Amino acid sequence: MTQSTSFLRAVQPAVRELKVTFFLLNRNLLQRISMVIILLLILIAIFAPVIAPYPGHAISDTNPKDKLLPPSSQYFFGTDELGRDLFSRILFGTRISLRTALLAVGLALLIGAPLGAIAGGLGGIADEIIMRLTDIFLSFPPLLLAIAISSFLGPSLENAILAIAISWWPWYTRIIRGQAVSIRERQFVRAARAIGTPLPKIIFSHILPNTLAPVIVQASMDIGGVILTIASLSFLGLGAQPPIPEWGLLISSSRTYFLNAWWYSTFPGIAIFITVMVFNLIGDGIREVLDPRTRKF
Amino acid sequence: MEKTMKLFIVLSLISIFIITGSAFAADTPTFAVYALNSEPLTNWDPAIEFSNGIHVHNNMYEQLLRYDSIEEKIIPMLAESYTVSEDGLTWTFNLRAGVKFQNGDDFTAEDVKFSVERTMQLAAGASYIWSAVESINVVDPLTVEFKLAYKNPLDLVAATGYAAFIYSSKCVNEDNTWIDETPGCGTGPYMLRSAKWGDEVILQKFDGYWGGWQENSIDIVVFKKVSETATRRQMIETGEAAITVELPYTDVEVLKNNPEVVVSVNPSLQNLIGMFNTQKAPLDNVKLRQALAYAFPYQAVIDTVIGGYGQQSYGMVPAGLWGWSDQLPRYEYDLEKAKALLEEAGAGSDLSLVLTYTAGNEAEKSTAELYKSELAKLGVNLDIRGMPWDSQWEMALGDPSQRQDILMMYWWPDLPSPYSFLYSTFHSEDEPLFNLAYYKNPEFDQLIDGGNEMTSSDIEAAKQMFIDAQKMLLDDAASIFMYDRQDIWVTYKTIQGFKFNPAYPTVVFFHELTVQN
Repeated sequence: MTQSTSFLRAVQPAVRELKVTFFLLNRNLLQRISMVIILLLILIAIFAPVIAPYPGHAISDTNPKDKLLPPSSQYFFGTDELGRDLFSRILFGTRISLRTALLAVGLALLIGAPLGAIAGGLGGIADEIIMRLTDIFLSFPPLLLAIAISSFLGPSLENAILAIAISWWPWYTRIIRGQAVSIRERQFVRAARAIGTPLPKIIFSHILPNTLAPVIVQASMDIGGVILTIASLSFLGLGAQPPIPEWGLLISSSRTYFLNAWWYSTFPGIAIFITVMVFNLIGDGIREVLDPRTRKF
Repeated sequence: MEKTMKLFIVLSLISIFIITGSAFAADTPTFAVYALNSEPLTNWDPAIEFSNGIHVHNNMYEQLLRYDSIEEKIIPMLAESYTVSEDGLTWTFNLRAGVKFQNGDDFTAEDVKFSVERTMQLAAGASYIWSAVESINVVDPLTVEFKLAYKNPLDLVAATGYAAFIYSSKCVNEDNTWIDETPGCGTGPYMLRSAKWGDEVILQKFDGYWGGWQENSIDIVVFKKVSETATRRQMIETGEAAITVELPYTDVEVLKNNPEVVVSVNPSLQNLIGMFNTQKAPLDNVKLRQALAYAFPYQAVIDTVIGGYGQQSYGMVPAGLWGWSDQLPRYEYDLEKAKALLEEAGAGSDLSLVLTYTAGNEAEKSTAELYKSELAKLGVNLDIRGMPWDSQWEMALGDPSQRQDILMMYWWPDLPSPYSFLYSTFHSEDEPLFNLAYYKNPEFDQLIDGGNEMTSSDIEAAKQMFIDAQKMLLDDAASIFMYDRQDIWVTYKTIQGFKFNPAYPTVVFFHELTVQN
């Protein structure tokens, strides 16, 4: 038996689980639609430069002679105050929102997951210190903390991602720690300990992988929230900087013109609304499927 | 019987209505709300405030003189007249008799001496305007004499919209600090009624004002911060606000056709500049700065960003102020020339510059974006950073290696003189304050200091010196002089008598207004 076949056999249950999850998600119409839309968003994000009629408008080009035109066959979503095609800008905005959301959640997981596993796996004083630290972070409203951090770091998209990750990681730490505490007492962990496996190896290769299911649920539900937070930070001028076509920034710029140019704030608003909603629906779906109490079979 | 009873009730009801109705009519004060785009006041102390408080303080306090920059003449205020000695070093002001402070005290020469000396001593805000003053002598209760160390146009100084106010000594603590929110500290037409810090200031009519009151004048003035432009527009359309400013030009075009409001477009003394960091690589290279000045799309910015309500600047002094000259050279938008100069400067293709602007200012933001798209054509990357003014300023004053390359800001006059536009912004400073181009040129310093001294004796010579000084700034490309802006005021139809005076930017003198229903 080669290494790879043994690996395949090892992951077989996980693949099967994934298939079941997809099957279950697919049975619900709302979630099926959400999955299709998410797939569509991912495709838009990947192929934005090909689909967008004016890709230059999403980068640095301006076109002042066509400023603030209503939607037409030339500009599907109208133009902004510098004559840029809003359709192209919103398409490129999909890229930014998805990428920043994944990065922020990924970074938060990267900080939060190991800390949670250490806290739960070690217990004692390490647990106390890490958990009180999360309490400190959790005592601030997450948006407020993100605002404070990104205004301290200086306004840019990268700093906004960092700020969100810093204000978000304690949630993952708590979930994983809770899981780890119960797994620590399970037979296979005791067995590993009994044969003298070093503690770090127990924490990272026995405990941590077994805590991931609920964290994946939480993370998928958080993507919508993170997209909204990024948009909020950019709206306040603390995230993306012009001329990046970030949705929150587009809405922020449109405030000045919305009494005369309804299309300017409407379309980025719809984009945020749809994206956040489908991610929340899918997150709910995954939770239902993975939760044994609500699982139908 | 029943009939007379009914009649009696009806009559008494009618009489009650008439009495209370007329009583209400007499008691209801006339209000005027001035909807501002930012906080009405940043410091209560009239000696220190060097910001938005110009709106409020000019209604509460008065200067010795005021300056009408359209008619180019001095308006007597607390001083009825003044004389200047042969050598230009002694100025004597004859004060107005019968003026009272809002707290009932008489206004005398002692108050002038106290106010100006304290303002100078605090050395905050715009107090530098008095720097030529050596001593102040009270000759008699209605005459005050200023001795100068060097020649200086003290009449213009005394007319400044900041730091030239005369206030009561009763509003100052023993340790020389201002007692915030004390009513009755000034001689102006309005006195403080109440305030919510950072949000609104409410003033009420001072009945004993020496200038008297017209019929239907405004009893209560509310300065209110309304940061959303859409809200300000709706307030003025419904009459909730009497006056507002800083509306985007797209709204102005619509409001011009609205019979409920009056739109007036007036010259302002405000200009938008983009200061180059002349001390830090790569912009310490003059050729490179010139290239960047040629790459700026002047006309496109004026048409797109301010809807044509302005014109490209000739140098730093804005149109409408003496010392402005259309004989000065201008950098025109010319990418070919910019490209040639870039090559001459030996700038690499990976040139990347940081530009800061005040976050929330849509005009500055759009201007920066238009500039970025032009620079991209030259292969230069412009990194645009919108920051709150405090952070922008902190970065500009902080560690020299971390400072911005280009800083965008509006400038407006404190003193109605070209010196005010050239001194704070480009005069050499050891520790930068507003010279955020970090420009150092002793010849330039000498010219503008000389021009300032000449102002009171030979204004034509002074004018020429200021023009020559600006020529230096242009040759050195210390800044991009983007545009001189017009001010757009929107007033509700019932407000009459509105006049503007660019020497006091965005100030509404409410004493001059009346309400016609």
